[in-house]
Amino acid sequence: MKQSKRDDIIQGQMRPGAITRDGMLGVDRRTLRDILDADDAAVRRLGLTHATIAARLRELRAAGARGLGEPIRVDSDLEIRVDSVCGKLPCPFGHPGLYPKEFVEVSNLRTGERVTFTQLNIHLIGTHGFYEGLDSPFRQDPETLARVLGITA
Amino acid sequence: MSDLLLAVGILCAINTGLALLLMLAEAVIVDTRDRSITINDTQIVTVPGGRPLLAALKDRKIFIPSACGGRGSCGLCKVTVIEGAGPLLATETPWLTAEEQKSGVRLSCQVKVRRDLRIRIPEELFAVKQYQAEVATLSDLTHDIKQVTLKLLDPPEITFTAGQFVQIEVPPYALTDEPIYRAYSVASDPCQPSQIELEIRYVPNGICTTYVHKHLKVGDRVTLNGPYGTFGLRPTGRELIFIAGGSGMAPIRAILLEMARTQNPRPCRYFFGARAKRDLFLVEEMRRIETELPSFRFIPALSAPDPDDRWEGETGLITEVVGRHVTNAAQAEAYLCGSPLMIDACIQVLREKGMPEENIFYDKFA
Ligand SMILES: Cc1cc2nc3c(=O)[nH]c(=O)nc-3n(C[C@H](O)[C@H](O)[C@H](O)COP(=O)(O)OP(=O)(O)OC[C@H]3O[C@@H](n4cnc5c(N)ncnc54)[C@H](O)[C@@H]3O)c2cc1C
Ligand code: FES
Ligand SMILES: [Zn+2]
Repeated sequence: MKQSKRDDIIQGQMRPGAITRDGMLGVDRRTLRDILDADDAAVRRLGLTHATIAARLRELRAAGARGLGEPIRVDSDLEIRVDSVCGKLPCPFGHPGLYPKEFVEVSNLRTGERVTFTQLNIHLIGTHGFYEGLDSPFRQDPETLARVLGITA
Repeated sequence: MSDLLLAVGILCAINTGLALLLMLAEAVIVDTRDRSITINDTQIVTVPGGRPLLAALKDRKIFIPSACGGRGSCGLCKVTVIEGAGPLLATETPWLTAEEQKSGVRLSCQVKVRRDLRIRIPEELFAVKQYQAEVATLSDLTHDIKQVTLKLLDPPEITFTAGQFVQIEVPPYALTDEPIYRAYSVASDPCQPSQIELEIRYVPNGICTTYVHKHLKVGDRVTLNGPYGTFGLRPTGRELIFIAGGSGMAPIRAILLEMARTQNPRPCRYFFGARAKRDLFLVEEMRRIETELPSFRFIPALSAPDPDDRWEGETGLITEVVGRHVTNAAQAEAYLCGSPLMIDACIQVLREKGMPEENIFYDKFA
């Protein structure tokens, strides 16, 4: 799809210093529309949807929250720690409300791999199909998420 | 009919054009004439117009807490503006209760000084100063918590009360191109004014914690300001219950060190939650305080001890352990510190045990 004027404005919100100091695009020079399209294609190749991925992230976040800030074993292979730091962030797509700076750290004890996502990531994936730009500190690569978190169609 | 539509269209276009022009003028033509800020009706400072109130006050050495560098994303920089602020901004409303909005509370990083202002700030903020310090020691308390000792250089001493926090400045480095501030509770006894200890837990990709854990070295200079906050022991004589996890240890440790030094006789229990033995720290020091304060008991609880830990102490989530030990909390007072998830869950347990809401004090690190 072609990048619209609105996409330009949203992309502006994702630049370093607008909402977060590092921004949400990392070194990515592509347009927002190209980033969204590429990740959408990757998710379809996995036989998944953004909604399924967001639902699994939400489920893991809820399970990890039972650890009350300390790591807790979830399923047979995953260890999850959910904690928050000071602050809240708005959605760059202009939705009202603020998302707490809460992070969910998931370690796959079988493979040794680890992913960290936030409440904002869950919203961005589920509502906008946005996984952040390449090398953004909070980029969520769909294939990595599917592999580490055991998300299947 | 079509003439009417055309006229309405033209009017709308003119209106939109004028509004845009006004916005542009406001953005481009900043009135930098000096403005006065009257603080608590006792002190008047003069600042150049057009700057955010938070920054203007900082230039005059009046420090308002702020953890996001004025981005409107921490909500810490509240002040009451009695006169002279413009309308409430959309960036402020999510942080302010209806009550606060009614009484003129504003985010000082969002309010621009465009007119003379009258504001009110907590008196204790007048005592906040900026300090230059040097990293005296840096050690690992656990795999993700570092203890940092900062020796104060200029001014050489800080006065604070046990439970208060300071803000440390992170200089520009790989993760930030401008200085940012973050809050950390002082973990040391206020009787040592020439150096303070902090306990800092690593946050994945966090700007300040990555700096402290991966870049900071002994001998480095650090700028900090403080002290801030009202967390600290109330002088009531009630039985005390402390609950913490992770770096939530910091302010509780400061309170306990002071209690031990002053031989505070109040009955007191400290529940500390961790996953396994490797996540526990300062246990020996807590055991030493037990010998110094006969009415104090330290109760560490592990949620998932390793088999190698050979742990014979309390197990389970901190909420379960508190639930088992505390039978009637109606006459007690509680101080909680750490993850908001832990704090919220423990408050619920304490309420179930009969503790009145007004006897529960907490410092959420979020
Ligand atoms: C009164 C008080 C006392 C405190 N005392 C202590 C203490 O004694 N010890 C201690 O360890 N901590 C303490 N804290 C917490 C501390 O102030 C910091 O909040 C914490 O250390 C994290 O800071 P940071 O700069 O490393 O993380 P930050 O950089 O502020 O935050 C990182 C988080 O931001 C979010 N984020 C950033 N970019 C993105 C993106 N692109 N997409 C999605 N999400 C994103 C994520 O949730 C991420 O986890 C205290 C806080 C308060 C308010
Ligand atoms: S400084 Fe963070 S909201 Fe104002
Ligand atoms: Zn959104």
